[in-house]
Order: sequence, then C-alpha cells, then structure tokens
Amino acid sequence: MLIAFFAPCLSFVAAAQTATAPPEAQACVTCHGPDGNSVTPNVPSLAGQPRVYLENTLVLTREGLRGNPVMQGLMKGKKDVQIVAIAKHFAALPVRPPAPTADKALQKRGRDLAGKLRCASCHDKTFRGREQMPRLAEQREEFLEARMTVMRDKPPPGTDTIMNATLHGVSNEDLKALAHFLSQLR
Amino acid sequence: MNIKIAASAAACALAFSSAVLAQAPAAPPAWKQGMGDKFKDSPLAPNAAKNTETPASEIPIDKFKVPKGFKIEVWASGMPGARAMVRGDKGKIYIGTRGIGRVYEVTDAGDKRTNRVLVDKLTQPSGVAIMGSTLYVMAIDKVLRYDDVENKPDAMPEDITAKFNLPPEQHHNWKYLAFGPDKKLYVPFGAPCNICEPSEQYAQIRRYNPDGSGMEVIAKGVRNTQGFDWHPKTGELWFTDHGRDWLGDDGPEDELNRITKTGLNFGYPYCHAAGVVDPDVTKADKKATACKDVTKPVALMGPHTAVMGVKFYTGDMFPAAYKNTMFIARKGSWNRTQKLGYDVLHAVPSADGKSVKMTPFLTGFLDAKENKFLGRPAYLMQMPDGALLVSDEQLGAIYRISYSGAPAKK
Ligand code: HEC
Ligand code: HEC
Repeated sequence: MLIAFFAPCLSFVAAAQTATAPPEAQACVTCHGPDGNSVTPNVPSLAGQPRVYLENTLVLTREGLRGNPVMQGLMKGKKDVQIVAIAKHFAALPVRPPAPTADKALQKRGRDLAGKLRCASCHDKTFRGREQMPRLAEQREEFLEARMTVMRDKPPPGTDTIMNATLHGVSNEDLKALAHFLSQLR
Repeated sequence: MNIKIAASAAACALAFSSAVLAQAPAAPPAWKQGMGDKFKDSPLAPNAAKNTETPASEIPIDKFKVPKGFKIEVWASGMPGARAMVRGDKGKIYIGTRGIGRVYEVTDAGDKRTNRVLVDKLTQPSGVAIMGSTLYVMAIDKVLRYDDVENKPDAMPEDITAKFNLPPEQHHNWKYLAFGPDKKLYVPFGAPCNICEPSEQYAQIRRYNPDGSGMEVIAKGVRNTQGFDWHPKTGELWFTDHGRDWLGDDGPEDELNRITKTGLNFGYPYCHAAGVVDPDVTKADKKATACKDVTKPVALMGPHTAVMGVKFYTGDMFPAAYKNTMFIARKGSWNRTQKLGYDVLHAVPSADGKSVKMTPFLTGFLDAKENKFLGRPAYLMQMPDGALLVSDEQLGAIYRISYSGAPAKK
C-alpha cells in the first residue's frame, strides 16, 4: 500500500531527472513535495538547502529538540548515516521557485532591509545559504514569515540564538517585506 | 495511510498557530552591534557545528602534532559537540554539549571506551561539575543535580534551578562550571550580546554554595569566559575571556586573566584586551577614563581565537617542567579573514603570576594555506595517570596525550 501510494511521487522524481530518494526520505514527500519543493502552505521546501543545515536540523529533530511531532516521530531512532543520506538527497535537488508575484514596493523594502541588516553576511550574497545557514531565496513566503516570527519572539529550544539576536526589534511589517523579497528572489 | 495524511495536516496547522506578537522597537541585534560599515559585504559568519557523529576512522589524527616524546591518540569518539569533561571518583567521565542538548557519560574499560547519553533535550547543557560522585549539570535555563551518578545510572536528577536565579537571556549564557578549592561552584554569566551595556546580571563570574545559596559576584566586566582553573600553589583563579567581534581582523584580542582578589573589574564593555577603548559604547567624555581601574589581562591570546579551556598540570607523567603550568585550548576564530587558533598552547606563568610564556603544544588542526580547519580543540582534563585529555567539539572526540619520552614511531 505504501508502495502504491508513493509510486506516483517516485516517478515524478525520476521525470525531474533527480536522484531517487533514499528509503528514509520517502515519508517526507507527502508534506515537502515529491521533488523537495513544497506546494503545501506553511511547509518549507527542502530542495537546494545546504547539506549541513539539513543534517544539523534533522539531528535536532531526532533529538526531539525541534520540528513538529510527526517529523520527530519519523526521525526517531534514525542513525546518523541515514540522516546524512536524507540531507544529501534534498540538498542536491533543484529548486522550483514559487510563482512570481509583483509587489515591487514590498520587494524593494525587503531588499533594503536585508542590506541594512546584513543578512547576506551569513546566508550568502545569493541568499542560497551555506553550511549551517539555510537557503532563503525562493523559499515559500508564508513559511519564511512565520519562521522569522517565532525566531524573533520565542526561539524554540535547539534554535541557534544568532537569529533571535539578528531579528531583535524587527517589526512584523518588516518581516513581511523580508519574506516577500527573499521568496521572490531569482 | 489515511492516518498519515491526517497527521500531516494537523502537524502543518500546529506548526503555524504561533501568535504574532507586537514588538517594541529595540537595539540592533546582539551579534552585530558595533559591526562597522567596512564589514557591509563581509562574508564572515560563525563556523557550523557538526551534529552528526564522526567515526574514529574519519578523524585525521595523523595530522595532529604534539612535541617530541609525546603521543596523541583518539581516546573516545562519536559524541557530537563534546565540550567540557569532568571525572567522577569511580572514573566515569561526563561531558557537556551546546546545541545538541546532551550530556554524555563515558565508561572507560581500559582498552576501550563506551558512551551513552545521560540526559538530553536540554537547552545548551555545556556546564558540568562534579564533587565526588555528585554531578551538576547547568543548561541556560536549568540546573540539575545527580546524586551518586556513577552508581545509579537511572536515577532521576534533582531540579535545583530555582535556587540559582538564572537570568533570561540566552546569548553567551551557556556555561562553563567548576568547583573551586573553597568547594563553591563557580559560574560565568556572559554579556548577552557582542557589544552592549549589559544589565547588572550579566558580564560577570559568580560563585554559589553547591545548593545555590550564598551567591556572590566575584568578578565584573567579563564578556564571555568559557574556561577557568585555580593555580595549584597560589590558589588564584585564572580565566580565559573572548574579545568582542567586528572591530577588525587584529583585535581586540582574547584574554587570559588572573583574579588576585574578588571584586575586580576586567573592563567589558568599555575597555578590551590590554587597553582598547570600545569605540561603540564609550561616550566621548568617558574615553580618557574607560580603562581606569580595569584589571588588564596577564596575556593576550590572539584576535578572535575563541580561547576556551585552561588547565594547570599537576601530574607526574609529563616532564617536570610541565608541573604547575597551564594548557590552554583555542577553539579557533570565525570573525577574522585568516583563521587563527585551533590549537592547544602550553603557558608557563612567571613566579609573580604577572606574565606567561606561551608555546604551541597541540597543532595541526588548521590548514592555514586553505584557510580551513580540521577540528576544534575546546577543553582539557588531566587523568589520574597524568595523561591529558582534549575534547574536540567539532569532531565530537576526545584525544589522549601521553608522554613516554620515546620519539614518535614513523
Ligand atoms: C550571524 C549569521 C546570520 C545572520 C546575519 C542572519 N542569519 Fe538567518 N540564520 C542563521 C542561522 C545559523 C540560521 C539557522 C538557525 C537554526 O535553524 O537554528 C538562520 C535561519 C534563518 C531563517 C530560517 C529559514 C529556514 O529555512 O528555517 C530565516 C528565515 C532567516 N535566517 C532569515 C534571516 C534574515 C532575514 C536575516 C537578516 C535580517 C538573517 N537571517 C541574518 C544565521 C544568520
Ligand atoms: C506532516 C507533514 C511533514 C512531514 C511528513 C515531514 N515534514 Fe518536515 N516540516 C513540516 C513542517 C510543517 C515544517 C516547518 C515547521 C516545523 O519545523 O515544524 C517542516 C520543517 C522541516 C525542516 C526544516 C526546514 C527549514 O527550512 O527550516 C526540515 C529539514 C524537514 N522538515 C525535513 C523533513 C524530513 C527529512 C522529513 C521526512 C523524514 C519530513 N520533514 C517530514 C512538515 C512535515
């Protein structure tokens, strides 16, 4: 039954000419999209995330320190080598950007803010992330906004305190603009 | 399958029900307060932690160098994020971590070591201290006491958090802990920022009775100390301290300090290193006096080198010249174009304690040409036989350094 359910996803992945998901990653595609690009609101895309970011996040998910209960359940008992395989898989998948929207003013506000707050010194000047710093460019907009809000207001245990410090005092409106700019970046 | 989908939907909804709180405008972010304009396009960022296990076979132990007559080997591995180590009366070793939230227990069976997770899911439980077989674990927001921990593997800890009155800020408030010769527990409270004028609960070292009573602030103006030890003869406390970021590649340097009496001010946030007046928080009319009455470091430890553990050697295994001298670990820089540190130094204090002579002791972790590091030595512990253990936070390993006088085998 599982196989039947996942068969379409697997063929989709093959069609996109990407590596076949390791068995450990197959339960992830229901939420995160068959090719790692999420089409579900509030679920982030994993495609093209830096491998180190994925690895470290997934270890913390296994430890029960972050993520949601479903993911914690899926990651429970996973060996580090399996985590490395999952991370490698998603890191290598190509990113499919969200549909373009045309709020030029909001984009500009976000771009200016990102410059002023020097987000690129960590997330890379392309905002595609590096090492433990996640990719922000072309990520789902509502996810970015919500994630920044919790990181600013009450970072869950297991979150690097650096983002809490970085977003200290940034207004909700500014978070919206940052999320829009980053999501629409090409 | 249906169950799975239902659960998915629930989880997605749950993940985003967090309320959007109104925010008051506030100071610039902690880490980049004082990040000058010349760093606008700087690609400097903290080094990534490694949360996955590094198998012993992937540790480049052959690259790590010790002086002639010494030998280094991998003693234990597979403990991501391993930092400070303490050893109980019965020989079990307890190791704190930060991000991964665990405290490890290592059992030494002579020819090999096994480890297990004593406690997990804590917020940066880097502080460990032991008195006999009573283990103290300090996370940013929690203090736990494990009585008779070596004999009672499943014992529940006593939560003694309330007694310690821990302040709320997380940044720089992960702990290094140690019991002093006075049997009190010494605890640092770092500045919750890179550079700021912190409120009076921060930027200091305190000591407590083991039960959390009798708190005293013993040193002020301490930005972020992550290691200290007492001189075996004088009983004075020596501590390392991290200098601030974003004032350029060459400073202000990290510090090695000495506490000759309680109540000294070590300068933060106005006066760094050997007298660098802070350009960001020092008001114009205070510049001339910023370093007045500030106790200067005994030694400068290099810019941004992240100086960590310090240990006085009291064993008999190493040559006599090492007795009552220090080993000091430098985890290595991130806020510097050319990486620096990533080593253990040997430091010989002068008789009056006012200066030290330093030489590299453990090296090979830094590939200066490639500007890359292989590992990050963080803490030191002396074993009963006189061997020195070194933890590597990056590779989650413990190395053992021993001395036989024999030249290394090729
Ligand atoms: C000093 C380095 C640093 C700077 C500067 C920085 N970030 Fe981050 N950021 C991180 C790290 C590290 C993480 C991962 C945190 C974690 O998951 O524990 C992160 C995570 C994030 C995330 C979560 C993304 C995801 O997929 O979960 C967002 C969004 C983000 N940063 C946005 C920003 C924005 C916007 C700025 C500028 C205002 C910024 N960051 C500046 C280091 C930085
Ligand atoms: C039930 C739906 C669901 C399933 C199944 C699921 N996730 Fe997630 N995942 C989410 C949601 C929602 C988030 C964002 C909020 C959070 O962290 O809870 C998320 C976040 C993540 C993140 C953090 C991404 C970022 O940019 O910060 C990673 C990594 C991740 N998931 C990996 C996985 C992996 C690997 C699997 C399979 C083992 C998996 N997830 C299965 C719903 C799911």
